[in-house]
Amino acid sequence: MQATKFQVKLYTKTSDIELEKLVPVFHEWIRAKKISDELLIDVADYAHVPQGPGVVLIGHQSDYYVDVADNRPGLLYSRKRGFEGDLRAGIDDAFRRALKACQLLEEESSLGLAFATNEVLFRVQDRLSAPNADATYDAYKPALEQSTAAFFGGAASLERVGDEREPFAVRISTGANGTVADALARH
Amino acid sequence: MTSWKEQLGDRIPDQLAGEVELFEGQIELKKQGKLDDKIFAETRLRRGVYGQRYDNGLRDDGTGQKTLTFPCGDLTKGPDTVWDAPGMMRIKIPFGKLTVEQLEVLSELAEENSDSILHVTTRQDIQLHYIHIEEAPDMMRRLASVGITTREACGNSVRNVTACEYAGVCTTQAFDVTPYADAITKYLLGHPDVQDFGRKFKIAFSGCEDNPCGLVTFHDLGAVAQVRNGKRGFRVVVGGGLGAVPVQAKVLAEFCPEEELLPLAQAVSRVFARLGEKQSRARARIKFLVQKVGIDEFKRLVAEERETLRPDERWTAFLDDLHSTDEKPVREAGEIPSDAPAGFQTWAKHNLKPQAQDGYFSAIVKLPLGDFTSTQGRALAQLAQDLTGDSMRCTVEQNLTFRWLSGADAVTFYERLLALNMAEGGAGTITDMTSCPGTDTCKLGISASRGLTGELRNRLSVIEDELHPAVQALRMKASGCFNSCGQHHAADIGFTGVSRQVGGRKVPHFNVVLGGQWTENAKSYGLVVGAVPSKNIPKAVELITEYYLANREGEESFQAFMARVGKREFRKVLAPIQKPPPYEEDPSYYSDWGNPREYTIGDIGVGECAGEIVPFVEFGLQEAEQQLHDAQDALEAGQAAAAATGAFTAMVTAAKALVRHLEVQVKDDSDDVVANFRTHLYDTELFHDPFAKGKFAEYLLKMHGDQSYKSASEEIAHSTLDEAQLFLEAAHACYQRLTEAAAAAAE
Repeated sequence: MQATKFQVKLYTKTSDIELEKLVPVFHEWIRAKKISDELLIDVADYAHVPQGPGVVLIGHQSDYYVDVADNRPGLLYSRKRGFEGDLRAGIDDAFRRALKACQLLEEESSLGLAFATNEVLFRVQDRLSAPNADATYDAYKPALEQSTAAFFGGAASLERVGDEREPFAVRISTGANGTVADALARH
Repeated sequence: MTSWKEQLGDRIPDQLAGEVELFEGQIELKKQGKLDDKIFAETRLRRGVYGQRYDNGLRDDGTGQKTLTFPCGDLTKGPDTVWDAPGMMRIKIPFGKLTVEQLEVLSELAEENSDSILHVTTRQDIQLHYIHIEEAPDMMRRLASVGITTREACGNSVRNVTACEYAGVCTTQAFDVTPYADAITKYLLGHPDVQDFGRKFKIAFSGCEDNPCGLVTFHDLGAVAQVRNGKRGFRVVVGGGLGAVPVQAKVLAEFCPEEELLPLAQAVSRVFARLGEKQSRARARIKFLVQKVGIDEFKRLVAEERETLRPDERWTAFLDDLHSTDEKPVREAGEIPSDAPAGFQTWAKHNLKPQAQDGYFSAIVKLPLGDFTSTQGRALAQLAQDLTGDSMRCTVEQNLTFRWLSGADAVTFYERLLALNMAEGGAGTITDMTSCPGTDTCKLGISASRGLTGELRNRLSVIEDELHPAVQALRMKASGCFNSCGQHHAADIGFTGVSRQVGGRKVPHFNVVLGGQWTENAKSYGLVVGAVPSKNIPKAVELITEYYLANREGEESFQAFMARVGKREFRKVLAPIQKPPPYEEDPSYYSDWGNPREYTIGDIGVGECAGEIVPFVEFGLQEAEQQLHDAQDALEAGQAAAAATGAFTAMVTAAKALVRHLEVQVKDDSDDVVANFRTHLYDTELFHDPFAKGKFAEYLLKMHGDQSYKSASEEIAHSTLDEAQLFLEAAHACYQRLTEAAAAAAE
């Protein structure tokens, strides 16, 4: 059984972030249906939790976090359900949605956010299908490399991170230094 | 492996495995349309799978109510509950004891099925939000594999059994109540005698009389440890509860020997199942049964029932090994280093408690709004494993307590918390607020209790060190509605969410409840002083604490101060901030904390005169509020019957205002008002609350019918005042609905 609960995180260029400003922005995204092919439901505000999920745009298919885990703010796309396709297509879709959300955030002038494209954290929240183990890494590595190249170009380096208690995670140094828009345009 | 069922195999106990299979089967039947909505709803509730806000598929985005179009179409998981809508899973953690392995699994579920947040409730449960119902069975399997069941976490059954987090290590306990709480949990779980309740049933244990941890007085059944003549037993109380009408539990048995505890609980359950209200949920908790028959008759009924019970070896089997629940420290006892850093000293002042066992301490990890992340969960599990042992305890103040911390390791423990950003001091102080989920996720929330407590935390944490010790020591708690899950009645300063109609718009408010007592097992409850706009609550806290500090005598406690000066004085203190500015002047008052959406439903038209003309009904509601305040003053003055009569009068006034608003001619006498209220507002269900239905109207109808207010005791008067308060809230809500309906019709 192939996992579909993929998460993709792109980091902000600067570490200072005012999470409370995200709340009205995400509410407006719901009202304006900014992510038009997904059902957006509500906003969960966890700004009070240190190194936590920050502010979460809760959807039916996916959640969008601006999180501060490890004190490194970023946009975390988290697919929960509703994707059909092979592994590569699944990773591509997660990359695209994460980048698109970053682009939308960059367009919000009240936030003043910019995202870096040189590093991506990829995770699978499914310990049954994708435990944090070498075998999983071997299975995901080719598709991850292909997707990274397709979006970011250049030679990427991948590193499995975390231990077996944690979800399967790969830190990708993309080798890119372009913008989010560049990455979206490339694919 | 292709499924968790296969993966976990025989790690899941047979009985739990069977229950999950059954639930999974019921999910399939429901999807095939072969199971009734109400039956399925109760089925999932009894398994801890709860509804969540917007699960009716409707959400107001600040400009009007919009439909959330889930892919499931018409499929529902209960009446007005859309199948695909996110729900909440409540996970029972008996007496709050969480093992390392359990915390690790909970953390996994939080990130795989929820939003990476674990939320500790005020009854020592863990809640995960935004769960899809079809993921629930596998979650239950994973929980079952580490000894956790969600069975009867919700629904009309025995809820999580709670107990002091210091049980076994407490310096003031009579004895460790843990094995007794464990035994009663296991005995009553799924017991046939607890399956036919009209409402939920909550049990709590306390190791001693004076400390608050067990909070038995607001539980359906409470047990306080006692030793008499060298024999262990419990003072057992029954019929307590918070909710809409808070009631102090009554003594059922001054001393129940330990071997009689389980049969006594069983007998109480049978009486409750047999005689408790089943039709009206509003009066179905056991407190109403105890009130109705009187505690003496209730005792007789229980004694009679006890005689009919067939002996069960489980009643006493657990007594053979009362040490089965003992915990073993992993480190040698030791002293706290004398050169501990200053930061540690500050943290330890409120977060470290000496245990009964020399050289060991209990450390409280203060959780902001009861939340922690899955990553923190795993790190805390490791921390326990390394320094304190195999378990920790969730607390009713929404924190985590680690026991058996050697003094020699205390600084290391603190430093590791610091690295996790979890070394916040001030446990049990004014900054350690508890809150129910409120409008964040709860279907019943009226105001943003979490938004409010978050805001208060932000403001107070900045000035915490500068606060006077008497203010630091105060407890604040917030509930998003009258159901009181935030336990605000037992706080020095409590808040409960209400809404008000101002100039044609809704404004979020909180009723300020002052003078509740947390100590002595929550010995007394606070009383409502008045409603304050949500955005003025921080100012209210400032005014209340300033007034207290300026006028207290000596070391007078807040409760004693409140009892001396009375609510009337505090009402004067709050009066200047009770009226919100017009929308045009400051629209921020018209949205709630942490939520930028306009609180009012956007399709209410704001006419030219809306801000200037005050309709008659508003005068009537205002008059009723004043009458209720006067009634509260009468109670303070020891005039119980006058207070109850005043409360009834306030209800009649509010009812009259609403009846007249419907353009119905009504006389001034209460018989005519109540008759018209019944015809035009109760029978038509116009007064009905969307969730509580006719509950609040029935307060008036019952009171008018039995006239019991005329000779009310102090306790009855207290209840009458609470009921009148709720009736007035419902009257405000009814008026809002009528206004909205009229505006919609006009459009």
